[in-house]
Amino acid sequence: MSYLVGIDVGGTNTNAVLLKNDVVLATAKAATDHKHLHLGTMQAIASVLKFVPDSVDKPIELHLSTTLATNAVVEGKGAPTAAVIIPGPGLRWEELGLAFKLFPVKGYIDHRGREQAPLDHNQLEEVLAEIKQSGFEAVAVIGKFSPRNLQHELEVEELVTRKFPELLPVTLGHRLSGRLNFPRRITTAVLNASIAKIQAKFVSMVQEVKDRYNLGRIYLLKADGGGIDMKVSITRPIETILSGPAASLMATMALVEEIGDAVVLDIGGTTTEISLFYRGEPLTERDGAEIAGFATLVPALFSRSLGLGGDSAVNYDGHKVSIGPWREGPPVALGGPRVTPTDAVVALGAANIGDQERAIQALKEMGACYEIDPIIMAKKIVTAFSLKAAEAINEIYISLNSRPVYTVSQVMAGENLKPDRLIGMGGPAAYFIPKIAEQMGLPFTVLPYHEAANAIGAAASRPTVATTLRADTALGKLVVPELDYVANIPRPLLFNLEAARREAIAKTITYAEQMGTLFEPSEIEVTEEEVFNMVRGFHMVGKNYTLTTQVKPQVRRIKKHRDEMGEDSE
Amino acid sequence: MSSKTTVGLVFFPAFDWAISPDHPEREERLLYTRDQILEEGLFDLPEIEEYRPQIASLQDIERAHICVPSAQEVITESHLIAAGGTMTAGELVLSGKTKRAFALLRPPGHHAMRVVHGSRGFCTINIEAVLIEYLRKLHGGKFRCAIVDTDAHHADGTQDIYYNDPDILHISIHQDGRTLYPGTGAMDELGGPGAYGTLINLPLPPGSGDAELLYATEQLVLPLLQDFKPDLIINAAGQDNHFTDPLTNMNITAQGYARMTELLSPDVVVLEGGYSIEGALPYVNVGIILALAGLDYTGVIEPELPQKLIDNQGRLREEVVSNVGYLQEVWSRRKEKDLDLVFGDKEYVQRKRRIYYDTDNISEHQSEEIKRCPSCSGCRRVYSIAERHYGRLVKIGAVLIPWHACRNCRHEAEEAYQQLTTEEGLDHIYLHDPEGKQGDEG
Repeated sequence: MSYLVGIDVGGTNTNAVLLKNDVVLATAKAATDHKHLHLGTMQAIASVLKFVPDSVDKPIELHLSTTLATNAVVEGKGAPTAAVIIPGPGLRWEELGLAFKLFPVKGYIDHRGREQAPLDHNQLEEVLAEIKQSGFEAVAVIGKFSPRNLQHELEVEELVTRKFPELLPVTLGHRLSGRLNFPRRITTAVLNASIAKIQAKFVSMVQEVKDRYNLGRIYLLKADGGGIDMKVSITRPIETILSGPAASLMATMALVEEIGDAVVLDIGGTTTEISLFYRGEPLTERDGAEIAGFATLVPALFSRSLGLGGDSAVNYDGHKVSIGPWREGPPVALGGPRVTPTDAVVALGAANIGDQERAIQALKEMGACYEIDPIIMAKKIVTAFSLKAAEAINEIYISLNSRPVYTVSQVMAGENLKPDRLIGMGGPAAYFIPKIAEQMGLPFTVLPYHEAANAIGAAASRPTVATTLRADTALGKLVVPELDYVANIPRPLLFNLEAARREAIAKTITYAEQMGTLFEPSEIEVTEEEVFNMVRGFHMVGKNYTLTTQVKPQVRRIKKHRDEMGEDSE
Repeated sequence: MSSKTTVGLVFFPAFDWAISPDHPEREERLLYTRDQILEEGLFDLPEIEEYRPQIASLQDIERAHICVPSAQEVITESHLIAAGGTMTAGELVLSGKTKRAFALLRPPGHHAMRVVHGSRGFCTINIEAVLIEYLRKLHGGKFRCAIVDTDAHHADGTQDIYYNDPDILHISIHQDGRTLYPGTGAMDELGGPGAYGTLINLPLPPGSGDAELLYATEQLVLPLLQDFKPDLIINAAGQDNHFTDPLTNMNITAQGYARMTELLSPDVVVLEGGYSIEGALPYVNVGIILALAGLDYTGVIEPELPQKLIDNQGRLREEVVSNVGYLQEVWSRRKEKDLDLVFGDKEYVQRKRRIYYDTDNISEHQSEEIKRCPSCSGCRRVYSIAERHYGRLVKIGAVLIPWHACRNCRHEAEEAYQQLTTEEGLDHIYLHDPEGKQGDEG
């Protein structure tokens, strides 16, 4: 018997759920205290732990989805951070338009990871002295093509350690991602460095109460729906951004059978989050998460936000109902200033929220000068809501289907994504999902446990890690940037795809162990594989391999109880 | 769609296609270019948007070519995508979705001529011509276009297709044909009797660099474009004139290429050759993209840039100055030229050529008859015999009706085609009619 607690710290409420294996034993809710995030979290934990029998003495695993990192980034609360960059030639760093303080240092690594110009140590020392003097509290170091050759970034770290220890720890770009994108790597590393202290403080507070509640391993939910050991998150806090949308998708996977090519709508008060599944797997962002206008390399599940929710402001000009993208307050039925989609639902008698009379009165006023009956007005609003959601979904599919692909076989396959069902969650979902589904001609499901769904998602998630292996047999070099691993390939002619796979899997196992991830060897998979023959002057001089390997993201299936079943069409 | 988008990038590296495993035109060719573009984060810039290439139809191919025996038989899927991607680039610009577009794709096409028996100079389908013929069809023929081909090799295929077409200005700037494949592209190749002067060839002496390319752009190309006033400017951007290219002897740098792009401000750029896949392509392509987007490209410097090239900047070869002067003169007097002196005074101009397909090892013997018509550019009759190394001879006959053909030429062409149907010994016959149904719905 194993017990597990899942917590989702949301904007308004913190929800908790207690699982015993695959059964939900209890759920609880507390108001989120943004000033003292850990207090609300602890309160929620305490309220579900009451349901653990006293006879249980095994430590209880805790899975936490928190807005800590997201809020720190969105509200710009991170520490003042200096970015030491080694841009080399190319697009000038001044043109990147990044809102960070950048300190360029001379040095040049090319696309194959060859050093074309050494790092200028004299300049570096001057730059670090300036950074120290200017009162920066955190430092990130990012070189162009650093995932192909870690040397320059490591040299910076070494110099900081030796001569400027007060600037430690530094965030090195190559450790956060093996993918190519210098501007995104700068953004990712700077944000990571800037929130590291906030994260460390939160972690230490959670650690304090760990023993009091007999908690075992603690994982934080990442943007990609996997978990990260809480202690490790101190060095990689940026991975825990956007865990809210990830929790929704994990909940969907935990609760819904045969997801297929579903489109998932999480309808909230102000916004609707739209995510997609393809053959039962959630779609991921191609390059990485985007947050508050920052483009990062953080692996993330695909999600688009639409300014349309139960509390969105509604306008009517005599011809057209427009909804959102803003919220001006709660629904009129709850004393708000302006008609909302929720008021329309209340007026139609489809939901029992607040004062129905006030909702009807507000709709009457809205339609009065056009001589429209309040009930007709309410129906117009519901239709407009469904239309807007359906259009947004359609546009997302159009843009995904025009995503570039790079091989003849992919173009010829012309694989097109297309939704085959609608899954909804969130407060207003029960009413609006059937309407949107009708609009799109799709079957639908509304998730059970709608309030605690994200906590269930956090609880159902499993820890994951991923690494990138780059082997260039012409140079005789093998690099795994996330692990700081660099090696010579001893017999390049004998190195082949099999060897590359073996090496990538071995390194992922090492890394997963370092990161405190529990896994079975069978759960390691190669997700991307690229092999190119390198021909120079009509002779093959070697091959280059790029492999991405990960601990397979998995979801604990949660049993649906009959009395908790959601509303399914058909 | 961001209103700031200025460059539509149709990037298609065809990572699963090669002519043969160790051929220069192989999977690896755009790998390092992709890595450089990704690492520079270009796809995230608001000025740049990436698009998926469309797949051209056989009909799109046949609008530009006479494929023997048929389009289906001579091409691979990769050719349909490269041609389709070039069409996508043209559509982006004409629809106003993006200000400019760059078809950064492979395989290339500028050695592919009107009649296609196979692949030559790594090219099977002329992707620029497929785009142009598509746009002309779309605009009912009311569409004039200029192609500026800056590949180190003479664009003999594009020149062949537009040899007698007054609506298309084709300028090729290349390493002197006496020192490089395919050998043609001398200054006296100026087009057929119906389009005299709309083919311009500027051979550059081996060793020419940025100074010569930029001088030619400013002094020759830009004034000609201003004069011709095309609806669309295409730059066939071969990058084998780079100082690191293994197949040529030129000295262009990424900076020179980017500056040329900035000066030319083409509507559509199409990648042609370029086989220094590590030393040139990643830098030249990033330079072109930045220049098209109006961004600062001055930081794009190749690691192998020799001091000699930096020191030589600004030094210009006299030969190029005088050749540019000669061609300026030819251009300004092209309409006064007595064409009888060039083509003789007969009603039909005869041409006989031997065309070698190096990639597929085919020898083609072509003879052609062009009608000199005062009302249109004139109908043409072509006989072509192809000889494969171990194969039998294939003989075809074709009649070509030009855009805006006059009634007489159309009538004469139709009769000539009727005559071909009765002729003995021809394996295939073709009627190429851009305005008719044949070339289009067949």
